[in-house]
Amino acid sequence: MARIVIDRLSVAYSGMRVIDGLSLEIEEGSFFTLLGPSGCGKTTLLRTIAGFNPVQSGTLRFGDRDVTNLPAHQRDIGMVFQDYALFPDKTVFDNVAYGLRARRVDAATIRRKVGEALERVGLSAFPERHPVALSGGQRQRVALARALVIQPQVLLMDEPLSNLDAKLRVQVRETIADLQREAGITTVFVTHDQEEALALSDRIGLMRQGSLEQVGPPEDIYRRPVSAYVADFVGAANTVPVDLEAPLAAGMPTRVNLGGIPVAALAPEALGAGSATLVARPEDIALIRGHAAGTLPGIVRRKQYLGGKTAYGIEVAQRQLAVDLHGEDHSGFAIGDPVGVVLDSAKTLVVRS
Amino acid sequence: MTAQVRSVWFWLALAVLVILIVTLLYPLINVLASSLSSARADGRSGWSVLLAEPKYLRAVANTVTLGAIVTLAATAIGVPLAYVAARYDFPGKALIAILPLTTLVVPEVIAAQTWLMMLGNNGLLTRTLAGWGIGLPSFYGWPGLITVMTFIYYTYVYIGTLAAIRGFDAQLEEAARGLGTSPAVSRLKVMLPVVLPAILASALLVFTLVVGNFAVATILGHKVELLSVLTYQTFISEVSTDPVMQSTLASVSIGLVALVLFLQRWVVSRGRYEIVLGRGAKPVAMRGLKSFGLALAAALVVIISLLPLATVVAGAFTVSRGPVMRWGEWTTAHLWRVFVNAPDPIINTLLYAGTATLISVFFATLVSYLIVKKRTILTPAIDYLTALPLALSGTVIGIGLVMSFNSGWMAITGTGAIIVLAYVIRRLPFGIRNASSTLYNIPNSIEEASISLGVPPLRSFAKVVLPLMIPSVAAAGVLVWTTTVAELSASVVVYSGGRETMPIQIFRLIDSGLMAQASAYGFVLVLMIVIPILLATTVFRLDIFGSR
Ligand SMILES: Nc1ncnc2c1ncn2[C@@H]1O[C@H](COP(=O)(O)OP(=O)(O)O)[C@@H](O)[C@H]1O
Ligand SMILES: [Mg+2]
Repeated sequence: MARIVIDRLSVAYSGMRVIDGLSLEIEEGSFFTLLGPSGCGKTTLLRTIAGFNPVQSGTLRFGDRDVTNLPAHQRDIGMVFQDYALFPDKTVFDNVAYGLRARRVDAATIRRKVGEALERVGLSAFPERHPVALSGGQRQRVALARALVIQPQVLLMDEPLSNLDAKLRVQVRETIADLQREAGITTVFVTHDQEEALALSDRIGLMRQGSLEQVGPPEDIYRRPVSAYVADFVGAANTVPVDLEAPLAAGMPTRVNLGGIPVAALAPEALGAGSATLVARPEDIALIRGHAAGTLPGIVRRKQYLGGKTAYGIEVAQRQLAVDLHGEDHSGFAIGDPVGVVLDSAKTLVVRS
Repeated sequence: MTAQVRSVWFWLALAVLVILIVTLLYPLINVLASSLSSARADGRSGWSVLLAEPKYLRAVANTVTLGAIVTLAATAIGVPLAYVAARYDFPGKALIAILPLTTLVVPEVIAAQTWLMMLGNNGLLTRTLAGWGIGLPSFYGWPGLITVMTFIYYTYVYIGTLAAIRGFDAQLEEAARGLGTSPAVSRLKVMLPVVLPAILASALLVFTLVVGNFAVATILGHKVELLSVLTYQTFISEVSTDPVMQSTLASVSIGLVALVLFLQRWVVSRGRYEIVLGRGAKPVAMRGLKSFGLALAAALVVIISLLPLATVVAGAFTVSRGPVMRWGEWTTAHLWRVFVNAPDPIINTLLYAGTATLISVFFATLVSYLIVKKRTILTPAIDYLTALPLALSGTVIGIGLVMSFNSGWMAITGTGAIIVLAYVIRRLPFGIRNASSTLYNIPNSIEEASISLGVPPLRSFAKVVLPLMIPSVAAAGVLVWTTTVAELSASVVVYSGGRETMPIQIFRLIDSGLMAQASAYGFVLVLMIVIPILLATTVFRLDIFGSR
């Protein structure tokens, strides 16, 4: 168990920089998720932490150990791969025992520890099976047991759930959460799935083209995105380009112009004057019947009844806004209805474009 | 540390590249360059002689004609047989399964020889029929060439087509049937576009094999001039004085094969291979007259394919007086001669083919690992060079090696090393394709998982990757061995007196008409092929034909 400290780290593939001067601290025992679209460098960063990619510049520490130039096999990590990476010619038991044998643990202890590890992932029934005889979810549980049984300093997982179907994904996700909490191992989890990230993490690092766009707890990332990129990537968001006449300090309320009507909003981070983006989540917008004063006049153009809520598309100032209504009578508006759109001034944000 | 490791792979790749350039590219360039030089005694270039003398043009025309006819005939047998094998069940069907084995087990030189023992001028069938007053036309020339090559090469079409039909998604066909077309029409409409590329690809492969064929062409060609025969003859008679003509002829054959391979590549790349992963259709059980007919036709093909095997075994134990076989009178004298009086060919074959197999397997594994897992800027060059031997017939490879290593710092002409080198080069593309496909199926993550669990890289490779590679590498090794002990066309060019291998010895004995002696060597050669296959499949349970 160790805290991970990354300092101005750069990684390149044949001259092309993929990670660019990235700094990050991950608390001891916490669950940290690297989130971002495909190609943004999540895998590269994770593999650099593991020791599979050479560092171009910067340092990497586990606790007080500088591991920047330490070979992967000496880093004391556990790793879980998207394709499970089980040894196909070895039984479930031998797969899990592999790391212990490499550490020359005695046979009795191996038997006990492997037994416990398999128990914890709910697979004690078939230690003698080969990986081919297991389902995808079971395979990933074996991989998890194999990585955890050596009680590594750091647990690294690269999209471990993305080869599983939706239902299994939720089950294995819960197993991962439980095990991590029990073992208290510092964990770095890579995913492009925002729901996974929100559900599992203590903190999330949202990546964009090789650097971190925002780091924080799930609520912060969702509630106080620092940029349109973050707001767009995590959850649904209406984003509207706006123009700021003056710079804004962090947390400062302001009014921005939306189709000629001023709208109250908040800046979570300091912003310079010029172009910015207005962010409003669909569930933070209310509708009023008819065009009332102090509201944005709109027309209902789309409507999808979804049971617990209704998703509307409202045309406002030549733009479609997505609006989700919950609560009683959420399906009460019809296509073509004139409506007044009300943005929640505490939850409507102005952020970097 | 990783940077260091990468540079080790880089240096290894460089070493491989240098080896390939010296042993493969340099001889090839020598052949091509020499065809362009005008160093003939009469000052004319090889190409002007080629165009001026009808003999050479006829050889090109004959070769292309023979290639076309054999390709068509092999397809006409191979495709229906594959369809029947994939779609129908009938009594005796299991026999068809051994067909792919026959080309492997019976070397071309033995196939040509045994057909002669049946239908040649002194052949068993020829004489028997003559006794009944039926005169057969001479088997030499076109009839023999076409018959023998067709029955050697149809298995390639059969294997290729069978694989494609098996992989063809049965559901697709059912879907089409659901649309209301009749089964026969829907079958053709839906299956043909999927299977056709595979048929075409294997047919084109057959064409290149015919162009490069030396054993059958020389033994049965007689007065039909063929490129490979003419190249060899030019080499034999003019090796020290005039290498230009042999190079020119070799270049023609390289161009011809390269053109067809290019065409084949194009066909394969246009093929709709993305659908091949699906459930194969269940074979339909056939009953009654129809099943009898199918069984009969299939049996006929099987019997003809196995005839050479039976003949060579019988011939090895049959009394002979000169070229005349006295069928029905048995003796072990020939085998006694082979093992006791003249065992050199056996020893040479074991030595050269054994060495070549070991080198080949090791080199192919190393090169594939470099190509698949440790790519560097040198990888594309290595990739291309290792595919080159596909475009070179054995004769061409042999001539290139002799021309290049006659003198200088690597003067190995006349030694056993040049035979081993010729063997290794000929089997290079196969070995690498096999090892690469195995490596592609082993994800990098397995190696990394092992490293992450605390095992250093090289030990990780040894502990988790190598065990997964061994079955297929061993299977490929067996196949390399079986095809190398049977190799004739390159070794007959590069060998020197006292270094005869079994196929060379058989070839020479056939030339002298000593069929019984040839059969005795042939019998031993077949054993040297069959025993390793049997051991590998039964004792070690290797899936040999999976790697083919
Ligand atoms: N081995 C490699 N060689 C060269 N470029 C690579 C390699 N691996 C990844 N890249 C490139 O680096 C970038 C980041 O890739 P990656 O870390 O795999 O992203 P992610 O995991 O977020 O999808 C991509 O542009 C990708 O094309
Ligand atoms: Mg990735």
